[in-house]
Amino acid sequence: MNDQSEVRSTPSGFANLDRRSFLKTGLGGALFLSTASVTAGLSGCGSAPAGRVSAVGTRMDASYEFRFLTTDDIQLFEALLPAIVGPALPEQSQAQRVAIAGTIERIDAGIHNFGPANQKELRRLFDLLNFGLTRVTIARVWSSWPNATTEEANAFLERWRTSGIGLFNNGYIALTKISNVAFYGHEDSWHLSGYPGPPQWAVDTLPQFQSA
Amino acid sequence: MQLKDRIARGLESGWKVTDGATLTENRTLEADVVVIGTGAGGGTTAEILAQSGLSVILVEEGRLYYQKDFKMDELSAYASLYQEGMSRVTKDGAIAILQGRCVGGSTTVNWTSSFRTPDATLNYWAERFGLNALAPDAMAPWFDGREQRHNMEPWAVEPNVNNDILRQGCDRLGYSWQVIPRNVKGCWNLGYCGVGCPTNAKQGALLTTVPGALDNDAHLIHGLRADKLVMAQDRIDHLRASAMAADGITPSGVTVTLKARHFVAAASAIGTPGLLLRSNIPDPHDRIGKRSFIHPVNACIAEMPEKVEPFYGAPQSIYSDHFNFSGGVDGPVGYKLEVPPLHPAMSAGVIPGHGDPQINTMARLPWINSVIALLRDGFHPDSPGGTIGLRDDGSPYLDYPVTDYLWDGLRRAFHTMAEIQFAAGAKRVRLMHLDSDWYTTLADAKAAIDELPMERHRVRLFTAHQMGGCGMGANPEESVVNGFGEHHHVSNLSIHDASIFPTSIGANPQLSVYALSARNSARLTNRLKA
Repeated sequence: MNDQSEVRSTPSGFANLDRRSFLKTGLGGALFLSTASVTAGLSGCGSAPAGRVSAVGTRMDASYEFRFLTTDDIQLFEALLPAIVGPALPEQSQAQRVAIAGTIERIDAGIHNFGPANQKELRRLFDLLNFGLTRVTIARVWSSWPNATTEEANAFLERWRTSGIGLFNNGYIALTKISNVAFYGHEDSWHLSGYPGPPQWAVDTLPQFQSA
Repeated sequence: MQLKDRIARGLESGWKVTDGATLTENRTLEADVVVIGTGAGGGTTAEILAQSGLSVILVEEGRLYYQKDFKMDELSAYASLYQEGMSRVTKDGAIAILQGRCVGGSTTVNWTSSFRTPDATLNYWAERFGLNALAPDAMAPWFDGREQRHNMEPWAVEPNVNNDILRQGCDRLGYSWQVIPRNVKGCWNLGYCGVGCPTNAKQGALLTTVPGALDNDAHLIHGLRADKLVMAQDRIDHLRASAMAADGITPSGVTVTLKARHFVAAASAIGTPGLLLRSNIPDPHDRIGKRSFIHPVNACIAEMPEKVEPFYGAPQSIYSDHFNFSGGVDGPVGYKLEVPPLHPAMSAGVIPGHGDPQINTMARLPWINSVIALLRDGFHPDSPGGTIGLRDDGSPYLDYPVTDYLWDGLRRAFHTMAEIQFAAGAKRVRLMHLDSDWYTTLADAKAAIDELPMERHRVRLFTAHQMGGCGMGANPEESVVNGFGEHHHVSNLSIHDASIFPTSIGANPQLSVYALSARNSARLTNRLKA
């Protein structure tokens, strides 16, 4: 029904990734992309939400149920967050792991509320970054995410930020925006931006804050 | 202080309010009029029709949230009160779209700025689109009426520092500025308008027209998505709608069929064109979804020597129209200057970056001011607007190309914003642009503004005002509805929202929507009662 606009559309949305659009942007290795999601699915890159991640051997709150992020996505953000919000994280390693885990849970909760259309875009983006072949060719990250250093993650983010290709700028914004909002927006991080929270006198007065 | 608010009391008194998530089986309901959407347009329409004695069903895709839910918390508010959990963007991802999705629509989350449609805009509509009946004199009584209904008055309290910086900067440069009229009653000056007014001060649709309609026996069904207007011959026979589960996102599978004599679409400038496209409403000249406008917004932040605390106080109280119509109504694009409130999540989402630069900027938040420019799009051949289309799943998207004409305006606006911030004493200024540094002198900032690429994604762009897509006009070949919001081809369909604007407004649009909807609802009432 909107064939015209579909064909004319500029391929900057990740849901529009296909061979044609990548030929148009002239990217090396782009030919692999059209099959990335399919291959990722077939090769066992989990596309199912991670659900409840066992607390044993993870940093996650076992009571949180992931509704969108897969175990691969969680590893991706465990690698990226130290580069995105790292300098703001607590120094103590246990506290740092807790802060990262909580941020990833809020990213998941946020994406759940994004609804189907943007979830589809993000699924494409995350699959692209998680699937080895495209991680190497497009993100140019050689190590798998659990093995990637913070320097490698930062270099990847810088490449996408400064790239002349709008699609990569868009990916950079998507990754950093959901991370920054989930991190700085949460009460645990308010002190980092000098935000004291809602005025206490109002909280003390307004009925919605009083327990019944 | 009201310890029991208007909504809680109404629900106790037996208002007809149905949460779509509680429906377990398909059902059919009937009324004189079905109104789709509960924002500025839908609320106004429902109240006026219900007061006249017509039976009204109000349909809202979002859920009913009110004082008990408004806890001054960004993350939960963005997730529940905004379209797509605040992640809505244009088709290419380049422009973030801030838009409400709850009972009251965007009026539940807007920053309360209440402007009349500028005379220059109304006169342009008369000349260009044959809308002579909407001339400023003819519209004045409707603006008067709505200003009273929503308690709109220039903000009498001192502006917060964030707004005062805009005033100081304009003063020193000789740019005009004015005080913003706000739709509040007994405002506590807290600064949380954007996450649902916690004190019931904001007189948006949620606390005025929607309760007014419900007091007059209207039936509100929230958590119900309007899927398709179904035609029988040349009239709409019924609306097919899907109930949403309690999460507000997933359809539960329950279908509601709504029959009526007349249907009013007030589902926003993205939602209404989407609904009409899904419904294959007659469109012989291919006008539905065309000429969609957004007041494209760019922004500068400044670090000030004194504390700004941009998260506290009435978010918008000062504006400047110095550059809005200075190039003529249809010359180089004009822009209105305002400031946004900055809470941590909003700031972290608007300021692009990561790592050290990001924490270093965020750490200065209490000293940060931001100025925004809202471009008046749609008044020039090189600003034809965007297009609403449908995704495979039927949901609407906005495709909005930024033309060179607009880039020129965005670059000029960057210059003006940096000038104002330095004139007000800024220590340093940064553009919301992927390549922008902090600049400590105006000369450095201006050199950068001339140098930096004006390209999508690199320039961070926003819109909080969606307009057009079902434009009104005298000529059916270039419009969807007439000057009363009546569909040119379907006699029992009206559109009462911002989608009927044939251009952008050149000011925050809520009062334009209220006033036009009131006028067109009075007319519709007479038609239906005749």
